Amino acid sequence: MVEKKYKFISQPRHPTENRRFVAGRGNFVADIDRPEMLHVAPLSSHYPAAIINNIDISEAMMMDGVIDVITGAEIGAAIQPLMNGLDTPKVQRFPLAVNRVRYAGEWVCAVVAESRAIAEDALEKILIDATPQPFVLDAEEALLPSSPPVHPEHGSNVLLDRQFVWGEVDDDFAKAKHSLSFSVTWGRNSTVPIETFGVVAEWNGWDQILDVWASVQMPKYSDQIARCLNLPGNAVRVHYDVDVGGSYGVKRGIKHATLIGYIARKLGRPIRFIEDRLENMRAGDAHGPERKFNVEVAFESDGSVRSMKMRALDNAGAYAGRAPFQLGKPISAIVGPYQINSVSYHAISVTSNKTVQEAVRGFGQAPTNYAIETAMDRVASFLKMDRLALRQRNLIQSDQFPYLIPSGSTYDSGDYHAVIEKVLTAADYPTLLANRDHLRDEGMMAGIGIAACLEPSGGNSSFEPLLNESNKTSTWMESCQINVDGLGHLTARIHTTSSGQGHETLVSTVLGEVLEIDPSSIRITRPNSLESLPGNSPVGSRMAIMLGGAAARSAEKLKAKLIKIAAHSLGIDAEKLTYAGGNVLAPDGRKHTWQDAVELAHRQFHNLPEGMDPGLAAFDIMQVPTGNALPVDGKVHMYPCYSFEFHLVLLAFDPVIGRPEIHSYTVGHDCGTVINPAIVSGMTYGGIAHGIGAALLEEFAYDPNGQLMTQSFLDYLMPSSHEVPPIKIVKHCTPSPHTVFGQKGSGESGYLGSPAAISSAINDAVSALDIRFEKLPIRMSAISDAIANKSA
Amino acid sequence: MKPVNFDYERPRTIDEACELLASNSNARILAGGQSLIPMLSMRLSRPSLLIDIAHIEDLGEIVATDTHIEIGAMVRQAVAKNTIMIQEYIPLLSKALQHVGHPPTRARGTVGGSIAHADPSAEIALIAVTLGAEITYRVGGDDHMFDATEFFIGPMLTVAPPDGCLVKVGFPKTSKICGTGFYEVAPRRSDYALASAAAQINFDSKGAAKTIRVGVGSIGDFPERLDVDNLLKTDLNDESIVATVKTAITEIETVDDLHASAEYRKRVAAHLAVKALQTARDEVREAPVK
Repeated sequence: MVEKKYKFISQPRHPTENRRFVAGRGNFVADIDRPEMLHVAPLSSHYPAAIINNIDISEAMMMDGVIDVITGAEIGAAIQPLMNGLDTPKVQRFPLAVNRVRYAGEWVCAVVAESRAIAEDALEKILIDATPQPFVLDAEEALLPSSPPVHPEHGSNVLLDRQFVWGEVDDDFAKAKHSLSFSVTWGRNSTVPIETFGVVAEWNGWDQILDVWASVQMPKYSDQIARCLNLPGNAVRVHYDVDVGGSYGVKRGIKHATLIGYIARKLGRPIRFIEDRLENMRAGDAHGPERKFNVEVAFESDGSVRSMKMRALDNAGAYAGRAPFQLGKPISAIVGPYQINSVSYHAISVTSNKTVQEAVRGFGQAPTNYAIETAMDRVASFLKMDRLALRQRNLIQSDQFPYLIPSGSTYDSGDYHAVIEKVLTAADYPTLLANRDHLRDEGMMAGIGIAACLEPSGGNSSFEPLLNESNKTSTWMESCQINVDGLGHLTARIHTTSSGQGHETLVSTVLGEVLEIDPSSIRITRPNSLESLPGNSPVGSRMAIMLGGAAARSAEKLKAKLIKIAAHSLGIDAEKLTYAGGNVLAPDGRKHTWQDAVELAHRQFHNLPEGMDPGLAAFDIMQVPTGNALPVDGKVHMYPCYSFEFHLVLLAFDPVIGRPEIHSYTVGHDCGTVINPAIVSGMTYGGIAHGIGAALLEEFAYDPNGQLMTQSFLDYLMPSSHEVPPIKIVKHCTPSPHTVFGQKGSGESGYLGSPAAISSAINDAVSALDIRFEKLPIRMSAISDAIANKSA
Repeated sequence: MKPVNFDYERPRTIDEACELLASNSNARILAGGQSLIPMLSMRLSRPSLLIDIAHIEDLGEIVATDTHIEIGAMVRQAVAKNTIMIQEYIPLLSKALQHVGHPPTRARGTVGGSIAHADPSAEIALIAVTLGAEITYRVGGDDHMFDATEFFIGPMLTVAPPDGCLVKVGFPKTSKICGTGFYEVAPRRSDYALASAAAQINFDSKGAAKTIRVGVGSIGDFPERLDVDNLLKTDLNDESIVATVKTAITEIETVDDLHASAEYRKRVAAHLAVKALQTARDEVREAPVK
């Protein structure tokens, strides 16, 4: 497919949403104020593991303004456990700890009071009698049969232990001239939105309906709430017109919504719970993957990498959550952008007495990319070969697409070498090398980092049936509904919340493009879940592909109807008509305008073609392109589209101080056809900032007593505008053959490669000292200490 | 993150503030609130009475005496940073103030509040110790003066009287010819430092070093002076600076945490102290004639 010219798509247009956000007129969950609303504060466990003997709430209940105290025992008896994607029925999770606490910070009970301050006062009056239990924090220890099980009923800490072999791994290793092995560890970090999770729930007993306003990014949210609360699906109404103040995966909110929904129903009053930062960081859905990799690669003397064995051990925290599946998504790009003939992949997920791991930007892909890119650097170092040349040798060539990888996914399109050439030119690579050497001459430790990686996008989440054979889901649809009113104006409905992705811009741009009308004239609304068509929320970099696709297909249906009406009216075959700018043109010069069609469709049924329904409305429920099969023999095709990014960074640090300063950062990004350039650039820039945090600063770290040491912004350090340098984003467009405009996903861009690139640069800087940093984040003190130890 | 209930008073005079302090053994003074307000929210501090001194006009003054610049307890860090008298007579404090928090926190935070709060990584406390500032508290009707070098005794711990209200901090003026250096290292700009160092060399009219003061912060429980008097006998060459700092810093106890090892803190503090001394030596500047 070649790149096409568009009127609105890819054009530099201001995102629609900007106006209300810049003016401070967003509608966030904290803006929802219901009459007679009550407030909730949860009591957190101090123990990483304990059996709860008794909870004495008597004193708290006597306080003025305290309405109720909900315990785990109460809610455990009243609702269904939260959804668990794996086939591990004994690993049960409720919004509050039932009988046993499994991590420090876990919510044990919840006070309901007239104000949040009173609720916090009451927390101090609750007496917990608990017996501490042995606990385990480290994933390798948790794997040992002797380790204390986090869920004794389950029998061990192993949630998932799957060994995949794709291709002739042993053969390829035997034939290859060289092999090497290493291990790297991805520290537990996350996306950290400005807005913590919040929810308001209100039960209307007369209508038997639960209204939910939530700061959420969660597929099938209303279904999950209904199932847990034993309600019919149509008794839960989630309002999608709530703006979400940041997410990138972590606004799951299912335990919160079931807890608050339960309380709202029990007490008959609206209930609000908005996490404070401590609650969010200790026990919200705040933590991302924590993963140790053991990697072995087989390669030839010319640098060709033949095969890879990867063991990935993930520390899921105290419950199953979505964490184990984050080992699944990377299967769809397990060889990265490289021609690697065979792979074995051992995916292990264990429980530990840490906070539960939830979905985070990239869904496990960024850690895996870090491991693959480290392998590339190690092979180059072993062969004393240029790291860039090594990658160029192994990259898939542009004429090899569609490219089937050993684990069953087929990459759609790409021109990786072209992107790299553009980046080398934009960054002025020879000068960059000279600058590095110049910095070294001045006594600085300077290094260049390189990372190439893929962003699987448009997800059908086929990793679920792959990792859990009892799960037969292959449907991951998205939908859009459009209607032209009696005055001729177009309104589109989207059936999800947004957390900054610009879905209103996406849909109006796509509709404007197809219907050839001004996108800024199109109204976008977000109905509630009961008024919505099915969808799966913005996860897995899917919305440009899926929501954009559904919008385009709706518009095509509307356009077809406009042409049919015109054909009837003009008395000409539809095939002879052309559509332009909202009007339909006949070869003889006659014109049937948009407003003519509106008049006929809304008011002149007698002039419509026979059998045609009145009105100008259309909808589309779209299945993920290429997603049409369940796994076979441990292989499955997952994602329709694969975006590519190539990072090139120069950084330097003083050997004593050890604080990396980024001197130059260039990224090449190919996500096919870009719908809105400002949104895509913003995603990429933010993703790189996020990756700088993961590489250098951010970690949810625990002390040996199982206590989270980084539970506020005092210790959980995120890069600020001072630490994020200007970034040169070089664009390239290889359209996808599977999507309406050739677009691919970009919601996770930047983050998927920047941690690998930063690590690569730091390791390049210290390579002469024979030092290797094998764990993220690489703290400045660790850099300085390692250099000092070498010099000592 | 909601504070425990407390009463709130906004006195107009220092004596009124002292009376309020005396009336309640669980009272706390609120100045700029950049540390106290988060501590209240996290219930780490649980006073039953909060005395907001922001409206006591006397506490907002900056006064020059023959020997000192006296900064009132409520002078905001942003004001101190932009006050020409401070830039001219306490250039080391001016340098340090660039590193205190961010513009929004400096607009609220006060010089006195930082001293009273006694965070081990506070830049202002480090300058007070390095220069030997005079810290004045009023207790009842009387003023009590404390030498900054003996004021800080632990993280968030000082010898200040519990029923006293900080009135002012007097920083000694530099000699006519002086040089200063200030450096700190933090994971992020304006973050809590992992190590910091300040140096001031006062020269006599012939250009010979008269006094040399060096302090290090952020590495132990409180900022401390380094004994570098040996340097007075040298011509301040690099070798003697490095050697003197290296010896002096061995005395300092350092702490370690998630963000930096104790070894790191000591190594980097020494490195910064050397840099601060070199900068002070190289930056001979003349203060305005009194």
